[in-house]
Amino acid sequence: MQPGIATSVVYTGERRALFGLAFRTALLTVVTLGIYRFWAKTRIRKYIWSSVALDGDRLEYTGTGLEKFLGFLVAVVVLAIYLGIVQLLLFYFGLHFVVEPMSQEEALMQLAVVYISLLAVLPLMIFASYRARRYMMARTRLRGIRFGMDSAAWGYVWRAILHYLATGLTLGILLPRQTFWLEKYKTDRSYYGDARFEQGGRWTQLYPAAIHLLIGALILIAGVVLGILTEDPERAVPVAMLGYGWGFFGWAFYAVRSRRYLDSRKSLGGLVGFVAEPRVGRVIGIYALGSLVVGLAAGGLFLVVGGSAAMVVGAISGDGGTGPAGIVIVAVLYLGVFAVFSALTLAFIVQPLIAHFCETTTVLNAAALSGIRQRAHDRGADAEGFADALDIGGAI
Amino acid sequence: MRDPDGQIAATFYDGVTAARHPVRIAPTSDRLGLAILFEEPGRASVVWPFDRIRALADQAHRESLVLTLHTDSEDETPRDPARLVVADADAVAWFRRTRPSLFQRDVRPGNLRRVAIWLAAAAAAVLLMLYVILPGLADYLADHIPPEREIAFGRAVMTQVEYLFADGAVSLVCTDEKGQAALDLMTERLTAGQDIPYTLDVRVFDLAMPNAFTAPGGQIVIFRGLLDEAENAEEVAGVLAHEIGHAVHRDPTRLTLRAAGSAGILSVVLGDISGGTLLGVAGEHLMQASYTREAETAADAYALMLLNDSGIPAGPLADFFDRIAVLTDGMPEYLSSHPLSAGRAEAIRSGAWAEADAHVLGAEDWKSLRDICD
Repeated sequence: MQPGIATSVVYTGERRALFGLAFRTALLTVVTLGIYRFWAKTRIRKYIWSSVALDGDRLEYTGTGLEKFLGFLVAVVVLAIYLGIVQLLLFYFGLHFVVEPMSQEEALMQLAVVYISLLAVLPLMIFASYRARRYMMARTRLRGIRFGMDSAAWGYVWRAILHYLATGLTLGILLPRQTFWLEKYKTDRSYYGDARFEQGGRWTQLYPAAIHLLIGALILIAGVVLGILTEDPERAVPVAMLGYGWGFFGWAFYAVRSRRYLDSRKSLGGLVGFVAEPRVGRVIGIYALGSLVVGLAAGGLFLVVGGSAAMVVGAISGDGGTGPAGIVIVAVLYLGVFAVFSALTLAFIVQPLIAHFCETTTVLNAAALSGIRQRAHDRGADAEGFADALDIGGAI
Repeated sequence: MRDPDGQIAATFYDGVTAARHPVRIAPTSDRLGLAILFEEPGRASVVWPFDRIRALADQAHRESLVLTLHTDSEDETPRDPARLVVADADAVAWFRRTRPSLFQRDVRPGNLRRVAIWLAAAAAAVLLMLYVILPGLADYLADHIPPEREIAFGRAVMTQVEYLFADGAVSLVCTDEKGQAALDLMTERLTAGQDIPYTLDVRVFDLAMPNAFTAPGGQIVIFRGLLDEAENAEEVAGVLAHEIGHAVHRDPTRLTLRAAGSAGILSVVLGDISGGTLLGVAGEHLMQASYTREAETAADAYALMLLNDSGIPAGPLADFFDRIAVLTDGMPEYLSSHPLSAGRAEAIRSGAWAEADAHVLGAEDWKSLRDICD
């Protein structure tokens, strides 16, 4: 690949416009008892996608609310049958492991039963996350040309489960290997038109990104050891807390740094390259400031609205206790505050993060894009229906 | 549109390659279409009929328009893959002002039918699962679980309940020997000659609530509050007969299995809706309530059968329901886990054997039972 000219990605979305759109669509979602959420998500994506520009060309999101709604209904049919039967059977076999009530042991057994039924959903959740990504790619266009992804969700499921097992059994030491190979699996099956993306680099190169995770873990272990040796919680707890906090920072550090490494080693059709330089401090700053604003605004609103609601409900219900009218008012207010909260989160956390990741990305040799040809339409299968039904949608 | 010769600059993407084509656009002479003239030499111009030109909606950049052509395609939307980006302010304003069909939504025929079919399929799958398959499967498994497993599970449930209510006390079980003997005698009188699948294990918990429950494996608990509330031994016998009904029908095991199966389904139906937890809790409650109402009615019928067979009058149980109706019938029946107490009392009175007049316990034993927790 020749270095070529570097072109910056630009993000032009505005806070007010996105907040307005998100708030209006969230209200519609509440009014329609949740049905409108598929259209709300579509419209918000159209706005965010069209805010991303490369050399003056904007991304286009072509997904539709209707296909998401239909995909969700398909997922309900499949999952209702699968989950109902599998969870009931797992619980039944779990019953065979319930021991005579010996407090501690029994509690552990009960926990095990709960986790076994979670395992029944895990493959589906991984499946759904791959399909959601494929759908998102298939509904993104640039310069009229479709992005796309191979239909390979089941291959992703078993690989992901093996990686999770390996990472878990090695107490996290193989986390970089998991991150790298799962990203490579997805990237190598992604396309822009007829050009394929490729993930370069080596998994061992992700270890520097995990340094603060390691430090956090070591401090946490030191705290636990200290606690066992001295039996003095006043000395051990602060150390353990420090380790916990450091681990939290370490997770953000790993997420941003591994993205930086991986994205900078992606290429498109062997011609176009990328440089990604997201900054850990900026990402944490966006989270901290955004959470503060969202928390304060939503909290204040909750106090004002909740207080006046309490008075209104009190006036209506009088001495006879809260009637159905009171319950409805409280439920509607709760959902309304929820709408404000989700719109604020989009405008103050999600969009700034997307903007930061876009603006720190540079495309090398973008001129080579001109030779790329259209790819066929992908029906998109369940259009994220499984991801929505299993509640792994995320913010957008 | 203005310009020396009515043409303005725009950018065209043909939907075949990612190449950018600089073009000039102008209305055709008959004003029915938009002519797209390529700057590249030798490339033939294209005409887009105005009535089929659409613009992308919800775009972040309001100052430009991305135009596309309404076409019958296999794509997610009926649009041609080509795009025309117009950034000229006057042209954008002109399009917005004079083209009412610009933001028209084109719905494919048959969409409504597809939605209706899948809505019906989803509703049918969920209802079939909740009201046919899961209850059937739960009943089958409850009948086939080895009794010792069921008893172990019941003990686990009992330990949890005791832990939940104990509040520091070591044990809630009332252990007075005479009282327990009276309780066992009552159980024996009720079940004499009946086919009971378990050895019933009836105990009293030292709790003030007037209540009783049955755990899996024939383990029945009566709260002290119920003994205090009861006016005679026959009322307690009626309640005990009702709980024995639950044990014989394996209700605790069946209902737990059903709940395990249906727990995930509601959260799937709700998806990641905002505030879904609230609706989820409400929905779960309604569904469980409808399951248990059925079981309560069946247990009432069983209790009536036990009482009639052993010659113990059922009137006191009906009286008991009448008394608690004041407390419980404030809630509409569909919200409650139990049928309305008034209706239950009536059903019991009409089914009771009129000649039954036996006393389930002698005065001495009844006193011992009432004092079991002292």
